[in-house]
Amino acid sequence: MPRFLHTADWQIGRQYSRFAAEDASALTEARIATVERLAQLARDENVDAVLVAGDVFDAQTVSDRTIRRLFNALAPFSGPWVMIPGNHDAALAESVWSRARRLAAIPANVHLVEESGIVALSELNCAVLAAPLTQRHTYGDLSDWFDTAETEPGWLRIGLAHGSVQGILADDIDSPNPIAADRAAAARLDYFALGDWHGAKRIDERTWYSGTPEQDRFKDNGAGQVLLVDIDAPGAVPQVTVHALGQHSWQQWQVSLRVASDLEQLIDRLDALPPQSVLDLRIAGQLDMQSHEQLEEALSVAEARHRAFTVDLGQLHLEPTEDDIAALHADGFVGEVLAELRLMQQGEKGEIARDALVILTGMLRDAGPREHVLGDAP
Amino acid sequence: MKMQRIRVEQLRQFRQPLAIDELSDGINLFTGPNESGKSTLVRAIRAAFFERYKSNSVEDLQPWGDSSAAPEIEVEFLWQGERWHLVKSFLKKKRCDLQVGTRSLSGEDAEDKLAELLGFQYAGRGASKPEHWGVPGLLWIEQGAGQDVQQAVRDAGNHLKSALGGTLGELASSAGDDLIAQLDAERGRLLTATGRPTLEYKAALEEKAALECRVQALDEQIASYAQQVDRLAQLRADQLADQSKPWLQYRREAAQATERLRDVESLERDQAREQQALESCRESQAMSRQQLDEFASQQDQLQRRVDAHRQAAEAEKQLRDQGATIRQRVESAEAAYKKAAGRAHLARQKEQRDRLQRELDQLQLQLEEKQRHLGDAQKLLEQIRQQRVELSAIAIDDVDLKRLKGFVEKRQRLEIEEKAVATRLEYQLQPDKSLLLGNQTLQGQGEQVLLEPATLEIPGVGQVRIIPGGEDLADLARQRQQLSDNIEQAMTALKVSSLAGAEQRAEDARRLGADIQRNEDRLALLAPQGTDALAQTLALHEQQRQNVSQQLDAFPALAEDVPSLVVAEAEQEQEQRQLKAAEREHANYHTQLQLAEQATRTASEELHSLEQRLESPGYQETKSKVQEQLRNLQQQQQDLEKSLADRQQQIAAANPQVLRQDIQRLSTSADNMERLASQRALDIRELESKLEVLGGQGLEETRAEQAAALEQHERRCAELSRRAEALDLLLQLLRDKRQALTRRLQEPLQRHLNHYLQLLFPSARLEVDDDLVPRQLVRSADTAVGEFDALSFGAREQMGLISRLAYADLLKEAGRPTLIILDDALVHSDSQRLTQMKRILFDAAQRHQILLFTCHPENWRDLGVTPRELDGLRSMQV
Repeated sequence: MPRFLHTADWQIGRQYSRFAAEDASALTEARIATVERLAQLARDENVDAVLVAGDVFDAQTVSDRTIRRLFNALAPFSGPWVMIPGNHDAALAESVWSRARRLAAIPANVHLVEESGIVALSELNCAVLAAPLTQRHTYGDLSDWFDTAETEPGWLRIGLAHGSVQGILADDIDSPNPIAADRAAAARLDYFALGDWHGAKRIDERTWYSGTPEQDRFKDNGAGQVLLVDIDAPGAVPQVTVHALGQHSWQQWQVSLRVASDLEQLIDRLDALPPQSVLDLRIAGQLDMQSHEQLEEALSVAEARHRAFTVDLGQLHLEPTEDDIAALHADGFVGEVLAELRLMQQGEKGEIARDALVILTGMLRDAGPREHVLGDAP
Repeated sequence: MKMQRIRVEQLRQFRQPLAIDELSDGINLFTGPNESGKSTLVRAIRAAFFERYKSNSVEDLQPWGDSSAAPEIEVEFLWQGERWHLVKSFLKKKRCDLQVGTRSLSGEDAEDKLAELLGFQYAGRGASKPEHWGVPGLLWIEQGAGQDVQQAVRDAGNHLKSALGGTLGELASSAGDDLIAQLDAERGRLLTATGRPTLEYKAALEEKAALECRVQALDEQIASYAQQVDRLAQLRADQLADQSKPWLQYRREAAQATERLRDVESLERDQAREQQALESCRESQAMSRQQLDEFASQQDQLQRRVDAHRQAAEAEKQLRDQGATIRQRVESAEAAYKKAAGRAHLARQKEQRDRLQRELDQLQLQLEEKQRHLGDAQKLLEQIRQQRVELSAIAIDDVDLKRLKGFVEKRQRLEIEEKAVATRLEYQLQPDKSLLLGNQTLQGQGEQVLLEPATLEIPGVGQVRIIPGGEDLADLARQRQQLSDNIEQAMTALKVSSLAGAEQRAEDARRLGADIQRNEDRLALLAPQGTDALAQTLALHEQQRQNVSQQLDAFPALAEDVPSLVVAEAEQEQEQRQLKAAEREHANYHTQLQLAEQATRTASEELHSLEQRLESPGYQETKSKVQEQLRNLQQQQQDLEKSLADRQQQIAAANPQVLRQDIQRLSTSADNMERLASQRALDIRELESKLEVLGGQGLEETRAEQAAALEQHERRCAELSRRAEALDLLLQLLRDKRQALTRRLQEPLQRHLNHYLQLLFPSARLEVDDDLVPRQLVRSADTAVGEFDALSFGAREQMGLISRLAYADLLKEAGRPTLIILDDALVHSDSQRLTQMKRILFDAAQRHQILLFTCHPENWRDLGVTPRELDGLRSMQV
């Protein structure tokens, strides 16, 4: 009764340019750490083999160090790993894999399948039919030879491929790396382990995407997980358990603030977020000065709590109240300017006006209430 | 504000108190000579307000030499219905008490209240300076400072603005300028004055640009890497095909073709050989034929020779027949020639004879002429000889003649002179009376010249001796006598009797001489060398004539029908030519005859020799052998031709040309393929190692890092750019608003200024800048604008005062106190201007209290106010 751990799309070497440098490098680091935790999980769960369905590396020319580190991260699990190249790390004439070989970085227990073929895991009575990508762009179904492939009778037939299942996921006519939706059935596979889709997703009872073990973008649903697959016997329906593994939760919020309670709600939501999340906020609406301060405070707190944090306040207007203005002692033409900026927030140069307003109110506030002393010499 | 009372004590020259009260609204005029304390009073008022009561820098207030004094100043004025009473004393006794209505203030509180009311401030330490004086500094004009209005306005600037701000119903923003300065500084951290990025912003932009370049470069490298990977894949795929070594097949085929080619080539060689044999066969045939032809031709030749011989003989015979005729022609030509020559000879002789005759005749003529000449010449000679004799007889020496003439003339002159000098005796006698003069009787009338003493006898009377006077006369007479002697002598020598005669003789001699000359000329013509020569020539001629005559006689007589020489000679020439022609013909004939004989002989010889040869036996034998040979050769040729044709077919079937091409094509293809394969292997190795190196560089990872950094910088730049824009916007708005406000402040000020200015320059304008400082004076519409600083001292004084009055009006409108103090203002104005200024002051005084101090009371008599003399005031106090 073999047990597999199905994972894919590790995207090792991916960089996150939208975040600040230190956050970005931490996120990059986290990906390797997650692989290590994955290996630990495989060990702890007594998995018989780990199936990695493509896109191990994010690019062909990652550094040598990154290659070594990745393979080092596999150390906790000494059982067999079966890996296929995906579209990011396709097995071209010269590829990250050929480099890894030259570096002698690939451990012995890693079966790297660079040509379509069958990997026989004889101690498990299991044949893995692997369809690696060997070109930059593939338009044919690389798994179609599965249908006529012969394996040992009585052995499990496990499919391992990387691409998009036709008709299930949103696709164009010419989507690359197509995979037939009924491949598992047509090829009499006991389990079909797929990669390329970054969220864990069930296609049919035998066909699953594991998704990436560490979320790497905002959009993906169900990312940050691995699949534990138990197959009782050849022909039995596999039991698939989804196991969360990722460290960082990626959230992208669009928030509109109109009344004070909106702000409170936002603050509550921020507090409720698990720490070390990756957060992107887009805030629109309008606030008076006090609320604005409150918001800035909350954002500052959130920034410290989380792994990475970006916020866009472009659509947020500052609407100081009469009290605010009075407190600023903005008299004379300064007061006029203040009023004009408030109005300008609505118009074309709204964002600039808002920024200017923030600067002005900030300076006035810092200057403090002034004694109206006649004759301050310049 | 209305000042009501001023009192000073222990202040400079006012040791005793001096109080001035009963001050009125409008102009208060104080006069006094210099040193009467006008300026002291002004100083007192200023000190009361400007100087801190605790100040130690006011020693100038003390009376001279009295350091223990405590100068005290008391000021009382009304403002907005309340009475303000200030008492301040300095130095020895420091005190400051202010009462405002019912309230009391003292010390610094009092001072601050005053400062707030009037709009000035206190010095931090030391004496009060112009920058502290604020609004009063503007309205209280010190002596000689009237024209310095610009600085005063600046110093009072903030006070003015805040005061004036109230007019408009809002406070001018005191914080505004600070804010602007602060924002400007902030902006300066991002942008330069011209709006270009600077400092951090600039650095960020530069870094961004650099990163963009790096990312681009990396992208290119990555693309290149990918290309090379693809190329490697392609090469490897190609190499697979190379495994089977396809070129070997081609080599085999080439070898086969080469075999076949060799066979064909040997055939070709045989072919060539037989071809040569055929050629030589043909040649041999040709030779044989040639020989046979020769035999044939020799037969023909024989026949020809026979004919030739016959022809030659005939020719010879013909020639001989012609011989006689030719000889005959020659002889007749000779005879004719001889005859013609004889006639020509005769003709020449006649010619010669005639010539001699002509010569003779000519000589005769010449001889006769010459004889005539000789005769004439001899005659002339004789004539000349005679004439010469004659001449010698009558010749007169010119010199002698001249001398004679001279004597005569001189004597004549002397006689005239004598006569002149001489005594003249004129007489007119009665008819029958007479006188006797010497021995001359004088009768009737007449005159006598007396050259020497003479005796006049008067009958009946006596004798009168008349002695002509002078030695001269005697001298003259002597001279005359001398001359007469000379003359006599000369004439004798010349053998003449008179001068006239001598002259005549001279003339004759000359004429004769001329004649002689003429004759001699003629003689020369006739006989240039003389008559002897002429006679000789004549003799020669005679001789000659005789010679010719003799010659002529020697000639024989001639027949008459001798032709002319020309004709005879022509005939002779013709006959000579004909003779020559005939001789030539004869010569020709001989030559030809000899040739013909020779020809005949030769032909005969040739004929014989050929006949002999053709009849020899060896000749026939050779001929038949050659004929057989020819037949053999013909057969051989036929055989060869057939053999060649067969083989040619064989060769054509094998198609050697195509074989050769195939071999080349196949070998070259095999070579190329092999070469390509090895090249490909090299390329693959090279590419693999290059990719290994490149791969190790971790390009995409680096690119991702750089791209991340780039995005960071882009964000930062965007952020900074937004901030810069916001700052720009803010600054722009603030500055615009401030300017608008300033304009609103400027406007009323402008109005007030122009109001006063009209009284001075009807259509002028004084323009103020943003700081409300007067700048330019525009006289009228078309005069050029003049800067305030460029006006004359007097004009600036006037402008200065006008400006301050306008500020005062403005302040009054704003509800602020305005007290104007003028300490000897307008000293530099001419009387016309002064009049205008007084109008202006009078107008201003309707609104403001003015304290006017002057030492020129006469200037201010028409102000409508009573002047108060300080001295008078002083004396009243005591």
